[in-house]
Amino acid sequence: MMVFDEAFEVIVIGGGHAGCEAASAAARLGAETALVTLNLDLIGQMSCNPAIGGIAKGHLVREIDALGGVMGRVADRCGIQFRLLNRSRGPAVQSPRAQADRALYRVEMRRTLEHTPNLHLRQGTVTDLVIENGRIKGVVMQDGRRMAAKVVVIAAGTFLNGRIHTGKRTYSAGRAGEPASIELGETLKRIGFPVGRLKTGTPPRLDGRTIDWSAFEAQEADESPVPFSFSTDKIEQRQLRCYIGYTTEKLHDTIRKNLDQSPLYSGQISGVGPRYCPSVEDKVVKFAEKDRHQLFLEPEGHDTNEVYLNGFSTSLPAELQQELVRMVPGLEDARIIRPGYAIEYDYVDPRELGPDLQCHRIPGLFHAGQINGTTGYEEAACQGLIAGINAANSVSGRQSFRLTRDEAYIGVLVDDLIMNGVDEPYRIFTSRAEHRLALRHDNADERLRPHGRQLGLVGDTDWDRFHQRRERIAVAKRWARDTKIGPADSAYAAISEVVESDISEGINLESLAKRSGITPGVIYGLLPVEAQSVVGQRDLESALADNLYAGYIQVQDAANRRLKHQDTMRIPADLNFRALAGLSHEMVERLERTRPRTFGEARGIPGLTAAALSTLYVAASLRS
Amino acid sequence: MDTIVAVATSAGRSAIGVIRLSGPQSLVILRRLLAQESFIPAPRYASLKQIFRESGEPLDSALITYFEAPHSFTGEDMAEISCHGSPVVLRNVLDLTLRFGARLAEAGEFSLRACKHGKMNLSQAEAIRDLIAAQTDAAATHAARQLNGELSSALQPVKDKLISVIVKLESALEFVEDDLPELDVARTRNQLQEIAELFDGMARTYAAGRMLREGLKVTLVGRPNVGKSSLFNRLLGLDRAIVTDIAGTTRDTITHDLSLQGVPVSLTDTAGIRSAGDKIEEFGVERTQRAMVEADMLVVVVDGSTELHAEDHSVLKAARSGRHVVAINKSDLDQVPGPMNGLPHVPNAIHVSALTGAGLEELTTAILEPFGAVDSESVGLLITDSRHYDLLRRSQSSLDDSVIAFGLKRSEELVLVGLHNALLYLGEITGETTADEILGQIFSTFCIGK
Repeated sequence: MMVFDEAFEVIVIGGGHAGCEAASAAARLGAETALVTLNLDLIGQMSCNPAIGGIAKGHLVREIDALGGVMGRVADRCGIQFRLLNRSRGPAVQSPRAQADRALYRVEMRRTLEHTPNLHLRQGTVTDLVIENGRIKGVVMQDGRRMAAKVVVIAAGTFLNGRIHTGKRTYSAGRAGEPASIELGETLKRIGFPVGRLKTGTPPRLDGRTIDWSAFEAQEADESPVPFSFSTDKIEQRQLRCYIGYTTEKLHDTIRKNLDQSPLYSGQISGVGPRYCPSVEDKVVKFAEKDRHQLFLEPEGHDTNEVYLNGFSTSLPAELQQELVRMVPGLEDARIIRPGYAIEYDYVDPRELGPDLQCHRIPGLFHAGQINGTTGYEEAACQGLIAGINAANSVSGRQSFRLTRDEAYIGVLVDDLIMNGVDEPYRIFTSRAEHRLALRHDNADERLRPHGRQLGLVGDTDWDRFHQRRERIAVAKRWARDTKIGPADSAYAAISEVVESDISEGINLESLAKRSGITPGVIYGLLPVEAQSVVGQRDLESALADNLYAGYIQVQDAANRRLKHQDTMRIPADLNFRALAGLSHEMVERLERTRPRTFGEARGIPGLTAAALSTLYVAASLRS
Repeated sequence: MDTIVAVATSAGRSAIGVIRLSGPQSLVILRRLLAQESFIPAPRYASLKQIFRESGEPLDSALITYFEAPHSFTGEDMAEISCHGSPVVLRNVLDLTLRFGARLAEAGEFSLRACKHGKMNLSQAEAIRDLIAAQTDAAATHAARQLNGELSSALQPVKDKLISVIVKLESALEFVEDDLPELDVARTRNQLQEIAELFDGMARTYAAGRMLREGLKVTLVGRPNVGKSSLFNRLLGLDRAIVTDIAGTTRDTITHDLSLQGVPVSLTDTAGIRSAGDKIEEFGVERTQRAMVEADMLVVVVDGSTELHAEDHSVLKAARSGRHVVAINKSDLDQVPGPMNGLPHVPNAIHVSALTGAGLEELTTAILEPFGAVDSESVGLLITDSRHYDLLRRSQSSLDDSVIAFGLKRSEELVLVGLHNALLYLGEITGETTADEILGQIFSTFCIGK
């Protein structure tokens, strides 16, 4: 029997975006929870770009918020440039994004966690997991402390066997200036987890005082910012600008001439990097025909000169980075504060996990965030939330919680991970969601608030707000349906000019909203004053969006359903794959690793042969 | 448990074609096929029986074997009907069983039922192999699977075009802040149109393909005494129908199989349409109307030697909604002057004489013409499988939705609904395209990475 220094119900390893959500959720669901991190001052650190949200990522943040997570609220308090992306497109593909004050985000996140009952922050390095009879029992720290736990969530980010590359220099690190977590990485391999190697990169940070801002094109924040959180009324932070600039041919030539100094091209890096976030070296080599690449200068906060050079991720030697940066018009005198770098780290095949993010191999052990092969704060945070909820539920003996692909991007992300695994860092995209039209950022509350309430993460105030908003949307729908505009109205002339078709017979606002060129703002302006006094523009937008997509969603679902008609057949949880005659050893292994619960999930397992599938189908249909 | 039916032998002409029924209704359906309500078969003994159309017309003589549960392949009541192997006959028998309450079996469903009733254990390879086709391969039949390879490769270029448009629209949505080239609206519209036309062109070959595989139902209609039965006999080259000068002699539909220019045709002669004179004729007219609905091609027969009657006009009117040709009979007699016998302009009217055989070749050509070229070598790929046809039509109609949405300047995510659906339907023939594959194309086409 091992003697422990402290005992908790849930231990979360890592204080990044996954770890924060996991610890907060578990503690608020009543579990005595410890968050163990290498450096308490770096809780909630944004290790790469200082921004939260973006297309599909903003959806995730709003879903996290609707379920009762913390990321949206904290981001709303720290956002210094809010923009709703894709404004000119339909509501389903619009998504909020905000530049955040990096330092403030850390402070706010730590404050949030410190005010959470049942949550205990501990600084230290976990080096080993205590496993008895195949079940997790606790963790061992570098300094010898032992902490007992019923369940453990690993959210170690890029720290597992992390290795930084700049030019030919390479050293062990979790992030710039922080030590890697090597023992824990080795522990996971020893347990037998299939471990792979991924790579990501970050650009240099510049001294804002050395930038000629006049050479760049300013990008303003939205006039009326759309917050992430359904609990936020107003964005309080003063809003800043970002700036857009471009690389030059000369810069490209210089990179090409120095490719031998790039660890990416010398073979020094073996990990796979994300294709949607290429280094500037990659851009120049793979898209040689482009004569310039876009760069964004992003402020890191109100109280700092530091500027993030987005689009210039690189692992070239630091001194060469300085030379290259100065080839950008406007950056002739710029000085680098922190050089960019590439980092390689271990991840564990997420097919080891169930939909609750618990490992099949070690009951009581959960994985969340980059350890599962994802990239991005939002992707990490939503996994942290799911793992934290399920960690607490597993302690209290409640049923595990999962979201399906048709109710949330979170469901899509988790399903993609555990069914297909990853071969490059996984990022969410709207095109990954086959139910894209139904999964809007603005209806995340409608989709997920009831789940959050039922779980116990949504308090009375937020629950009331939700019902009020629901009611306002219903009212907005009635007004949009019942309000007609015709030639007698004063606004008619202006409207009929924008609308290309004939509306002289009169048209209700619901139908008018579907015409191209008509924005929700225009419709809002056409509502009677008594409607405007009850319904906000955002309520109206949600009401119109429901209406706009209704028919399309039917068409979309009909095609999807056709494919899936057999996919819903359940595969009994206790079905013994080994006992099925005709399955090869390899097929049994694949099935046991994934443990599909439905025939559809089985169909999605890579490498499963048609013969194996049909054997499974027969076995499952015989039992049902 | 419902009763399922399928043609157990492979598609195409053969000496014998076997139709299998399984389920509690098997015996009831069998009795109706044989028009013997009280038929009690000796289980597992084969007997030679006549199969009748609903009209009472004999359809085929077949060797039937009845199996009583649980002593059958599936463990359920079953019937096996060995007909003559003509696709036309098989289709007709199959149609009858469906009308009598059976449902078409999913591929592999017989084996699945056998498993359920403990007739077959899992390791029995045959059952499993059947199921492979049913659950994972898009193909429902063996023949279709063989064709799949050919069809897939013919569809691949269309699919590639479709994906390239999807890639453009998706990247505009997903990477709004990346420095992407602006969408060329006119070019994209043309591409969409072009893809829709390719789908349409392929789907159009189905008529010809099906005609070759299954044959055509051609039905002669017209008012009494215009010479339908004479024309019927002339086309068949034998005295099958009773011909008299008395109007209304043919009181029931008569069907006979023949080959027209190599195409299997099931030719039906019908009772003349007029306000019925007696009860029997009334039934005949009813059957005529049903035959008109079921026909792939109607031949409206009129008499060229007299003015058109009101009844001729009503037949022509009834035929207008479907495929039809007009045969102006009795060209051997003096014709009523005036263009087209006083008919309103009918482009597909042929002068024939059932008596002399004049004009029959032109008539035959006109009957077959709408079904496209029958020489499969001249048109390349023919769609013969109704599932493939259905999927192509669905793809095309999804794409049409997108063309409309694009024309209305709808936001990309709405235009993409139809495109993704088209890709899903296409994927049932060619294999699925995953979101990752599309993203991969985006990343290799455009430099993404703010």
